[in-house]
Amino acid sequence: MSGVDFLNLLIAALLLAGVYAAMSVGMTIIYGVMKIVNLAHAGVLMLGAYFVYELYDRWAIDPLLGVVLAFPVFFLFGIGLHRALIRRLPPSDQPTLASLLLLFGLWLVLQNLGYLIWGNADRAILTPRTLSVLHLGPITLPAVRLVVFGGAVAALAALELILHRTWFGRAVRALMQNRDAGRLAGVDVEGTARVAFGMGIAFAGAAGGMLAMLYSFSPDFGSPFLLRAFVIIVLGGLESFAGVAAGALILALLETFSIQVLPAGYQPAIAFSLLVVALAVLPEGLAGLWNRRRRFT
Amino acid sequence: MSRPTRRPVKKLTCILIASALAAGVAASLLAQADSASIAVGVVLPISGREAKPGQYQREGVELAIHEINQAGGIFVKKLGKKVPVREVFYDDGSDQAKSSGLVERAMTADGVIAVLGGYSTALGEAESVMPDRYQTPWITTGAAASTIFSRGYQWIFGTLSPTDLLGFTTAEFLGGLVDRGKLHKGLKLALALENTDHGVDYEKGIEKWNHAHPGYFTVVFSEKFDLGSPDFSGLLQKVKTAHADIFLADAHLQDYITMHRQYVQTGMYHQMISYGARGPEADARKALGDATNYIFAGIWWSDKLPYPQVKQFVTRYKAFTGHAPDSWYPATAYDAMRALAVAIERAGSLDKTAIRDQLRTVELKDSLLPGQVLRFGKNGQISTAFVIVQNQPGNRVEIVFPKDAATGDAIAPSPKPH
Repeated sequence: MSGVDFLNLLIAALLLAGVYAAMSVGMTIIYGVMKIVNLAHAGVLMLGAYFVYELYDRWAIDPLLGVVLAFPVFFLFGIGLHRALIRRLPPSDQPTLASLLLLFGLWLVLQNLGYLIWGNADRAILTPRTLSVLHLGPITLPAVRLVVFGGAVAALAALELILHRTWFGRAVRALMQNRDAGRLAGVDVEGTARVAFGMGIAFAGAAGGMLAMLYSFSPDFGSPFLLRAFVIIVLGGLESFAGVAAGALILALLETFSIQVLPAGYQPAIAFSLLVVALAVLPEGLAGLWNRRRRFT
Repeated sequence: MSRPTRRPVKKLTCILIASALAAGVAASLLAQADSASIAVGVVLPISGREAKPGQYQREGVELAIHEINQAGGIFVKKLGKKVPVREVFYDDGSDQAKSSGLVERAMTADGVIAVLGGYSTALGEAESVMPDRYQTPWITTGAAASTIFSRGYQWIFGTLSPTDLLGFTTAEFLGGLVDRGKLHKGLKLALALENTDHGVDYEKGIEKWNHAHPGYFTVVFSEKFDLGSPDFSGLLQKVKTAHADIFLADAHLQDYITMHRQYVQTGMYHQMISYGARGPEADARKALGDATNYIFAGIWWSDKLPYPQVKQFVTRYKAFTGHAPDSWYPATAYDAMRALAVAIERAGSLDKTAIRDQLRTVELKDSLLPGQVLRFGKNGQISTAFVIVQNQPGNRVEIVFPKDAATGDAIAPSPKPH
């Protein structure tokens, strides 16, 4: 493989990491604050994709603007879901069977709602940006992947800002560390959880919109991403946003480069193997490893 | 200690006996219903990843049933009358386990005389174990892998020609372009194949033609990929590194769209490019626009085939569904139902063995498929020719091979994108 090929592949992996990070952030927020594994994540990705598609198809709204609009809309949707369903779950410091079943059921409902509204046709968003490529000498950069990468970086940066510069962010971090201690320190647990759930859904919806710029989709959309999101957040640490970025990068690099030596058919096995290794060797993820190292130095 | 358990056991026995009696009554009612209509099971995916082709196939079957019933039904000699066909439809959600379970249900609980379905090799494979177990004819309308038909099953039939023939015809078409001077001899092929029997068969067909025609092409890269992958950049990089002249992939619709988007985004170019049986679909055009131009596909049927029955079918299909047939999907399903109807009529009864025996010798002489005659081979699968179509500028899809069915000339090599 030439140096240019290697560089192109590295860039492809970085851009793929952006896609993976974008789709995993929402799940991490929800788990971090509420200890709920959002199995409906794929359903929300799918709704986000259709939301951006409809804006583009009906009113020619640029998909990028659609993604921005998806944030408030899906935030409200998340708040609504929390009020209607999630708050009825018993509070727990561990994921409960009730929450898993509820959110799995919600995923099925969203999927079938998708079939009811949009039918089973494959949809895709085709803009002049979709197939355009930027050339930097011998290096090629697919414009739309670059946009998604930028979106993912912006989402992670915004999240870091919110978490470290606002009262709400401090409350979220407090709940991530210890729910009861947070309550004793005066954190409104219920309110913070509601807003955090709304944010998680907002990020998932916006990520779905970004994915719609890359892939064709149907109401069944999202399942392969759900598995990868699991791998990323387990690898990164279930409550760490920097860990999500690192996990996404590792998975993307491994998937992209390993199939240069392995047959491409083994690509899904790479994600599964990484999940097993992460659970066995790094149960607290990269964030846990990082925290341990910091404690010892 | 054993006494307290006796009463529940008695109750359970009573419930079982009552259930058996109820089942008997239901079966006799079903038998009575049998003379009023002929139940045909249809198990196809109209949700999940194969929903779109599954829906088109369902429409093909339903159009055939509609036409049969409009003519009064199928004449069953033993009953001395025409009997309408009743469809028992199940959506398998593109799920293998569900698919075989639903075929089993149709063959046992619903008392159908035959089952049609099994779109895609993976779902067809799962369904194919049921027909011999329940001695009920099964016609797959959308599974082509030869492995399904090489296990010695006696109750299975298929209206898709085998995938190795698709690979063979693809290579034959390219070889023809070499003979005509449109492509050079000795070109290098790169193959990217879905990780299923479909992909294996496709490769076998290409190898078979290459073996018989040495010097035309050399396969310099061949690798399988997983269905539904979100990223093909690594695979495409390997294809790029292979420096092939022709890129042949065997892919499902979603993978075709994702892979070709990335293919274009990475600025790749090959003299000829194909995604197996995928290429002319309207959804692909919507998702890829002009980037689908010059892609060629080997398909089982085209609405441009110059047969009068094809023209009539297209008109009736449009009137029935409100849209034009997309690719080959409805045609093989339509012919499967018509072949079954002919077999039932020739059997003269609703006896499944008699129907199976008639299916083995049935000849549908106004078939929509290339060659116009549908007959099942010894293994149950048909082997009609494939047609090669090419997407051309201006949203045109032309049949470019074989010559006697061609509606246009192949553009080869594909022009380099600007």
